[in-house]
Amino acid sequence: MPSADAVVVGAGLAGLSATLALAEAGARVHLLAKGHASTHWASGGLDVAALPRAVTVREAVARLADDARHPYAILSDALPPALEWIRGMLQHEGLPYVGTIDGPVVPVPTSIGATRPAAILPAAQAAALRPWEPGERLVVCGPGGFKDYWPHAIARGLRRAGAWWGSAGPERVDPLVVELPGVRDRLNLDAIELARLFEEPGWRWDAFAAIRRALIIGGLDGPGRMALPAVLGLDDHAAVLAEATSELPLEPFEVPLMPPSVPGLRLYRALRAAIVRAGGRVQIGQAVVRIGVRDGRVVEVAMEAAARQFVVRTDMLIMATGGIAGGGLVGHPDGTLREPLLDLPVEAPPAMSWLAREPLAAGGHPLEAAGIRSDAELRPVDASGRPAGPAGVRICGSLLAGQRYLRERCGDGVAVASGWLAAGAHRPSAPRRDAPQSLAGEVAG
Amino acid sequence: MSITELIEAAAHEPVTSTADGCLKCNVCNTVCPVSRVTDLFPGPKYVGPQAQRFRLAPGSPPQAGSVMPVLSPDHTVDLCSGCGFCTNACPAGVRIAEMNSRARAQMRADRRPHLRDWLLGQPDLLGRVGVPLAPLANAALRNRAARWVGETLVGVHRHAPLPTFSRRSFRTRWSRSRGRRLRAPGSADPERSVVYFHGCAANYYEPEVAEAAISVLERNGLEVIVPQQVCCGLPLISNGLYAQARARARHNLTTLATFARAGFRIVGTSTSCTHTLKAEYREMLDLDDEDARAVSGATWDICELLLDLHERDRLDTRFGRSDRHLPYHPPCQLRSHGIGLPALDLLALVPGLDAVDLDLDCCGVAGTYGLKREKYDIAMAVGQPLFRKLRESGADEAACDSETCRWHIAKATGIRVRHPVQILAAAYVAYAAAEAEAAGAPSDG
Ligand SMILES: Cc1cc2nc3c(=O)[nH]c(=O)nc-3n(C[C@H](O)[C@H](O)[C@H](O)COP(=O)(O)OP(=O)(O)OC[C@H]3O[C@@H](n4cnc5c(N)ncnc54)[C@H](O)[C@@H]3O)c2cc1C
Repeated sequence: MPSADAVVVGAGLAGLSATLALAEAGARVHLLAKGHASTHWASGGLDVAALPRAVTVREAVARLADDARHPYAILSDALPPALEWIRGMLQHEGLPYVGTIDGPVVPVPTSIGATRPAAILPAAQAAALRPWEPGERLVVCGPGGFKDYWPHAIARGLRRAGAWWGSAGPERVDPLVVELPGVRDRLNLDAIELARLFEEPGWRWDAFAAIRRALIIGGLDGPGRMALPAVLGLDDHAAVLAEATSELPLEPFEVPLMPPSVPGLRLYRALRAAIVRAGGRVQIGQAVVRIGVRDGRVVEVAMEAAARQFVVRTDMLIMATGGIAGGGLVGHPDGTLREPLLDLPVEAPPAMSWLAREPLAAGGHPLEAAGIRSDAELRPVDASGRPAGPAGVRICGSLLAGQRYLRERCGDGVAVASGWLAAGAHRPSAPRRDAPQSLAGEVAG
Repeated sequence: MSITELIEAAAHEPVTSTADGCLKCNVCNTVCPVSRVTDLFPGPKYVGPQAQRFRLAPGSPPQAGSVMPVLSPDHTVDLCSGCGFCTNACPAGVRIAEMNSRARAQMRADRRPHLRDWLLGQPDLLGRVGVPLAPLANAALRNRAARWVGETLVGVHRHAPLPTFSRRSFRTRWSRSRGRRLRAPGSADPERSVVYFHGCAANYYEPEVAEAAISVLERNGLEVIVPQQVCCGLPLISNGLYAQARARARHNLTTLATFARAGFRIVGTSTSCTHTLKAEYREMLDLDDEDARAVSGATWDICELLLDLHERDRLDTRFGRSDRHLPYHPPCQLRSHGIGLPALDLLALVPGLDAVDLDLDCCGVAGTYGLKREKYDIAMAVGQPLFRKLRESGADEAACDSETCRWHIAKATGIRVRHPVQILAAAYVAYAAAEAEAAGAPSDG
């Protein structure tokens, strides 16, 4: 039975942030997850907050934090340093992000020809953030035979009145389908395959040449930018992006696609690499099924394994198991939502309201904000604010109650800030209260 | 139903029914090492949960009025190497690799096995023939003409990393040096002894691995029992020959279960054999009886067992110094154990040894997969990132727990690859040598 200073359950942005912060601080930390998380499904951008009529992210965060039941009410101080920290880590891994919480939230194109609000994006998507100058055109360019990106449909959507929320969008939006070498007849052409193709220097040289030719033939040069599907490389992304920027006459930016998300994969891989380098352990594949508790404290975490449970001895457990989509909350036929690991009290509306008349109404679906309530230190509490569950537990990410990430676009900001806070990174020099030296001594001695 | 019973039931949910959980999110396709390198394999989602809907349960009669029963709608499932990364990655708990294994068995159920697969599936048969003829057999394995014949007639690739036969099997060496004692559970103390499952590799090809393991176990006060045993059957399972595998499994279960029930731990040096004893007999071969459960619960990977000793402060940690960098590759089978990276934890106990997890996916060989004429090139392409990283590390030795991976990596890179337990055994010897030198050296020298 190995022992660790901390165990993090969940491999989403929250769990990865917490694990990395702990590993960096020198803690022996295990990240355990039953499978990959929303990183692989989401856009790869860092959604911190966006609200109607809030110009900047900071403004939106402040408005959310005004509601004492929103996670930002306890996280808004941790948020700026946590974001700066994770961006530093990502930059170090060759995955820089652009934009700040004081910059404006602007509409950026999606792969179904709509726009979504964004402010902090990976460098490859950054050109979409800059305001559109008069006379600038947008070319929506995709490879022929690729079923996840339809330039004509996207361009049409982006030409609709209102697509850019009344702000100045590009003056013209033109579709461009380019035949890339050897692509049309591939049996399986998904985003991952294309991203790997772009990693072959010879192939991408020809691909960029084909795009340049098509732009000239189509008369689509001139001032502007181009929207490419988010497939510009995976492990060697930085090189592919640099070359795309220098070889293409229009400034390119990536548009995230349907899952699996290549930008999300890059984000996951960068954080995982940083964790492994810092000595943290990542184990993905089986569910955590039992939390051992003695004298009111967490003492061990048990994961399913081939013959007997894999048990890690620890007295610090960070729960980043996600919301309903991640598996952190499970619905039961009796009309309750439960937290399966510690049976922590779940804040959720009564089952009768689960079937909302208008699930997409502006006010949100009643179930969206369900989760576990915590105190300012992210320890779980019950409805009356009294400590719930054993000592040594921290809650983070979308498992926290009170957020509506689909509406408020706050999922990544909450994840990073809470992961960072749960890891104790806000008190860097102070000895971590939850990572007792005594445990290490006990095992060695 | 108690929680334990529920967990037990969930763990034995028929593999194929998990297909219902598939959300089509494609996350499995992002981790598949085979579809990463070849277009011939469409990826785990398609041959796994997607095709599963069209497969009939084994033995089910053709339905009245329906078209002919389709045993497998997609024969490319044969290109799945069974590495298991898809199963581990799946956010929805779909047992994709296991599903593919069953589909392969179903595809072969009514046919006479291919001679090549039948041969590769029985390393014990090959060993029994090869070891007595070792000089001749090894010369043939090195002979280009003979390998060409082997490729043309049998279908084993001429460059496939076939191991060389030991001149004497481990069992012969063992019974000559120790006699044929300790066969019955009654004659030993389960607290102070372990049962060793050597498997075919250590018996016929690498007796030095078995001997290293035994020396390490004995150093820690454990008496080693080597009972009668046959091949675990995994090569047959991965070649879809379940019936033959079941015969071997029954044989092993009969012997091993008496030890398991008497409280002995069964330890193996091959992560593949131990995973077969732990999980595949029960899950893949449907031998889920009391014997199989007893054996599963008693089986340990050698490093898992040694780390357990260490955690209970019962491991002799007097290892000799070894100042060097040692790249470590955890084999896919080890990840399926779900036991973390015990080898890395143990190697960290050797003073000066800087053992580092390469954190890459599969080496490509996947047991007997990469030996086959039509799959060898795939196996080599899959391993490229690993080979490159190893070469760049500048190390002249690497560590890996699984034999076929060791042979494949060594052949592809020219770097010596050893089992972690060999490195530990050498570190014990180095310690003893240093002690002897210190004791023998004159104090003024
Ligand atoms: C499809 C999708 C789209 C989204 N889009 C947006 C968006 O546009 N804007 C926005 O702001 N937010 C969005 N979000 C939310 C946002 O991605 C998350 O809130 C944020 O990334 C934090 O996620 P998390 O780490 O808390 O949990 P998740 O990413 O859900 O990860 C949960 C992890 O816990 C693991 N887990 C759960 N139970 C167990 C167990 N018992 N044992 C072991 N492991 C377990 C899972 O395997 C997984 O690894 C989206 C989420 C999803 C699912």
